[in-house]
Amino acid sequence: ITYLTNLSLSAELLDDILREKPQEADGIDSVVVVDNVPQVGPERLEKLKNVIHKIFSKFGKITTEFYPEADGMTKGYIFLEYAAPTQALEAVKNADGYKLDKQHTFRVNLFTDFDKYMNICDEWEAPEKQPFKDFGNMRHWIEDPDCRDQYSVIYEAGERTAIFSNDAKEPIINEERARWTETYVRWSPKGTYLATFHQRGIALWGGEKFKQIQRFSHQGVSLIDFSPCERYVVTFSPLMDTKEDPQAIIIWDILTGQKKRGFHCESSAHWPIFKWSHDGKFFARMSTDTLSIYETPSMGLLDKKSLKINGIKDFSWSPGDNIIAFWVPEDKDIPARVTLMQMPSRQEIRVRNLFNVVDCKLHWQRNGDYLCVKVDRTPKGTQGVVTNFEIFRMREKQVPVDVVEMKESIIAFAWEPNGSKFAVLHGESPRINASFYHVKNNGKIELIKMFDKQQANSIFWSPQGQFMVLAGLRSMNGALAFVDTSDCTLMNIAEHYMASDVEWDPTGRYVVTSVSWWSHKVDNAYWLWTFQGRLLQKNNKDRFCQLLWRPRPPTLLSIDQIKMIKKDLKKYSKIFEQKDRLSQSKASKELVDKRRAMMEEYRNYREAALQNYQEQKNLRLELRGGVDTDELDSNVDDWEEETIEFFINEEIIPLGDL
Amino acid sequence: IKVFVSTEDNQPYLSIPCSEHKITSAVWGPLGEFVIAGHENGEINQFSAKSGDILKKIKEHTKQINDIQSSVDNTMFITASKDNTAKLFDSTSLDHIKTFRTERPVNSAAISPIMDHVVMGGGQEAMEVTTTSTRIGKFEARFFHAAYEEEFGRVKGHFGPINCVAFHPDGKSYSSGGEDGYVRIHYFDPQYFDFELEV
Repeated sequence: ITYLTNLSLSAELLDDILREKPQEADGIDSVVVVDNVPQVGPERLEKLKNVIHKIFSKFGKITTEFYPEADGMTKGYIFLEYAAPTQALEAVKNADGYKLDKQHTFRVNLFTDFDKYMNICDEWEAPEKQPFKDFGNMRHWIEDPDCRDQYSVIYEAGERTAIFSNDAKEPIINEERARWTETYVRWSPKGTYLATFHQRGIALWGGEKFKQIQRFSHQGVSLIDFSPCERYVVTFSPLMDTKEDPQAIIIWDILTGQKKRGFHCESSAHWPIFKWSHDGKFFARMSTDTLSIYETPSMGLLDKKSLKINGIKDFSWSPGDNIIAFWVPEDKDIPARVTLMQMPSRQEIRVRNLFNVVDCKLHWQRNGDYLCVKVDRTPKGTQGVVTNFEIFRMREKQVPVDVVEMKESIIAFAWEPNGSKFAVLHGESPRINASFYHVKNNGKIELIKMFDKQQANSIFWSPQGQFMVLAGLRSMNGALAFVDTSDCTLMNIAEHYMASDVEWDPTGRYVVTSVSWWSHKVDNAYWLWTFQGRLLQKNNKDRFCQLLWRPRPPTLLSIDQIKMIKKDLKKYSKIFEQKDRLSQSKASKELVDKRRAMMEEYRNYREAALQNYQEQKNLRLELRGGVDTDELDSNVDDWEEETIEFFINEEIIPLGDL
Repeated sequence: IKVFVSTEDNQPYLSIPCSEHKITSAVWGPLGEFVIAGHENGEINQFSAKSGDILKKIKEHTKQINDIQSSVDNTMFITASKDNTAKLFDSTSLDHIKTFRTERPVNSAAISPIMDHVVMGGGQEAMEVTTTSTRIGKFEARFFHAAYEEEFGRVKGHFGPINCVAFHPDGKSYSSGGEDGYVRIHYFDPQYFDFELEV
C-alpha cells in the first residue's frame, strides 16, 4: 500500500478506496464455464448471446462474457463472469442440465472447479490398509445354552445402563456401565448392535463384551434409525444444516463407518423421515406432492427423479415385499385414493377409491400378507365421523379388498404379527370394547369375539402371535388383560399400577410391564410375567427409565426343520423339564445354604454381644444406683399395682314373684 | 444435641452443636458414655456424652436418616432412612451388620426384644401421597428376618404413611403411628412366634 502513504487522506476515505482495490481472487470465483453451447457463425452470434443472456442473468449480474472462437465459429463453450461468487454458484446449481434444445443440454461448472480437478495428484496413492479389528463373535448372545434373551435397562435417571440375561428366577447381569449413554439406547433390528447417544454423535457396541464397534460423529444427534438389514444407520441432528452441505440427516455405512450421504430436514416430527424397504434395497421420503425413492448402495434417486404425487399424505413400505402403499385425499372431483405400487418398476398393482374421506392410516401385517387402511369418513348428509377398515389381501390375485364397518370410534388397532387376525379397541371410556376379527380364506372377515367394558388403551401382540396383552397404560392405572386368541379366552386379569410400557421378549414367552421414571416418579420398577399372565418377578430399580429387549436375528432353520421340531416337541419338552427341575432344586439348595451361613454368622455376633452385655452388668448397676433394669420383671418390688373398677354393663334380672 | 441430666432446672448439661448436617435422630449408647446420632445426609456419628467430641463416624446410608432405635439391651441399633433401606449396626463399634431393602422411604424401624425380627414403617413423602393409589395401600408395616434380611410379612391398615413403629417391651405386640392420625396397636397371634423361614 506504499502508493497511499504519500497522500494525506482521512481514514474513511482510505477504507473506501481500499475496499475497491481489485483482489485477484474475486475474478476467478465468479466465473462459470458453460459447455454444450451451440456452435454458431457470426450471423447467429448476436441471437445466441441474447438467449444466453436471458437464461443466465436470472442468477445475477453478468459483468463479462467471453465466447471463444475458432475458424469463424464459436467453440461450443463460453465463460461468464458474475458480480459475486454466490451468483456463480446459483448459476451452476440451477442451469447445469438445462435443455436448450434436443441437441444441447448445458453443463455449467465453476471455473475454479477445473483448477481443482486439474491439480489432483498424478500419483495415485493406494489407501493405507487398516488393520482388521476383530470384535469376536457378534452373535455371541444367541449361543446362550439356556436360551436366555437379553434386555437393556436404563436406570438412576439415565446415569446407569445395564444389560441383563432374562432368567425366570432372577435377572442375570451381563454388563453395567455408568454414563454409557447420555439420553437413551436403541438396539439394531437384528440385535447385533447397541446404539448409545452422545453430544458428539452415536456409538455402536456389540460382541460378547460390548466393545465399541463404530462411532459416528454427528453433533447434537437426537434421533436414529437402522436399515432392516443392519447395513446402514440414519442419524438426525437439528443443529447441523446448511444450504451448501445438508447435514440434518446423515446415512452411514455401519461396517466402514463412512458417511454415505447427507440430507436436509425441515422437521423431525414424524421420525423416521426415511422409510426403508424390508430388504434394505430402497429408502424413501415424502415431501409436499413428492415421493422420493433412493436406492442403495449408490444412495441416488431411483431413475434419477422423484415421483410427483399431488397431495400425498402418507406412505409406507410393505414389510414383506418391495411395495409402497400411499394415499391422497379428495381433489375437486377426484375421490381420495389408496394406491399400491411395486418397486422398482413403479407399476400400480392396486388402486382403491374412497369417498368422503377425513383421514386414513396404513397398518401392514408384519409379513406383508395384509394391509389394513383405517378410513375415517363423514358420509354424505351426516355430521359425525365413522370408521371403516379396508382390508387388502396382498397374497390373493388382484388384491381383493374387504370392508369392515365400525360403529364406534377407534382407540387402537393391531394385526397379529404372523397370522390373519387383528384386534381393535373401540368405544369411549368407560365403555371400551375389545373386538377380535379373523380374516378368513373364503373372503369373509369374521368377528370372533368381543369383550366389553375393558380398561385398555393399547394392544400388545406376542411377536409369535396367538397371545396378547390388552393394557390400560398411564391414565388407566396399569390394568392388564392376558388373552389367548386361539379361542379368545381371558387367561388372566392383573394390574401393574401406573405401568407406562409393555414389552414382549422376541420369543413371545415373557412380557415385561414397567413404570418408567420418565412418566411417574415413584415405584419405578419392571415386572416380568409369563405369556399366560403369571407374575414371575418384581424388579425395583432406583429411578428406572427404560427396558428394551434385544431383538433376535431371523431363524436359520428352514420351514421343514421347524416342522420336524414341532413334531418331536414331546421328546424335547421332557428333556427341558428335567433340566428345569434340576436347576430349581439347585436354587433351593443354594438358598438354604446361604440362609444357614447367614444365621450362623448372626448367631455368633449375638453371642459375643450378649457376653459383653453380661460382663457389663456391674457397670449398669452402678450407673443406675443399684437398680437392675435388665429384665422386664427385674424389679417386681418396684412395681405398683393398681386395680381399677369401671362400670361395663347393668342387667336387671327379675326374680319372679317371691 | 443437648444432653440433659435430670435436675430441677431445664438447663442442658452439655450442648453439642452441629453446624453441617442437621441431626435428625439420636439414641444413647449402652452405658451412657456416648450418644449415637443420625444426620440429614445419612451419616452416623458417636458423640461423647462427656466432652461432645466425635468418637466414631460412618456413612452407610445415602439419604437422610429418619429414625434410630436401639435393641432392648442397647447392644445394637437400627436406622431407618429415606434411601429406602433400614440398617442394623453394633452400638459400640458402629459395624454395619445387616441391610433391609424396600422400594419406599423408611420412616421408622424397631428391633424385636424376643425374636430375630425387625419391623419397618414408611411409605412416602407426605407431600407426594396424592400420587399413589390408596387402594393399593402401600402403607404397610413390613417385617423382616434380622438374620436373612428377607421380608416375611406385612400388616396393612394405615391409609397414610407410617411415621413411627415400636415393639412392646415384652415383644408380644407392636404399635404404629401414621400420617393419617391413627395409632394402631397389634397383638401377634401364636403363628407369629412359631413362624420359621425354610432352612
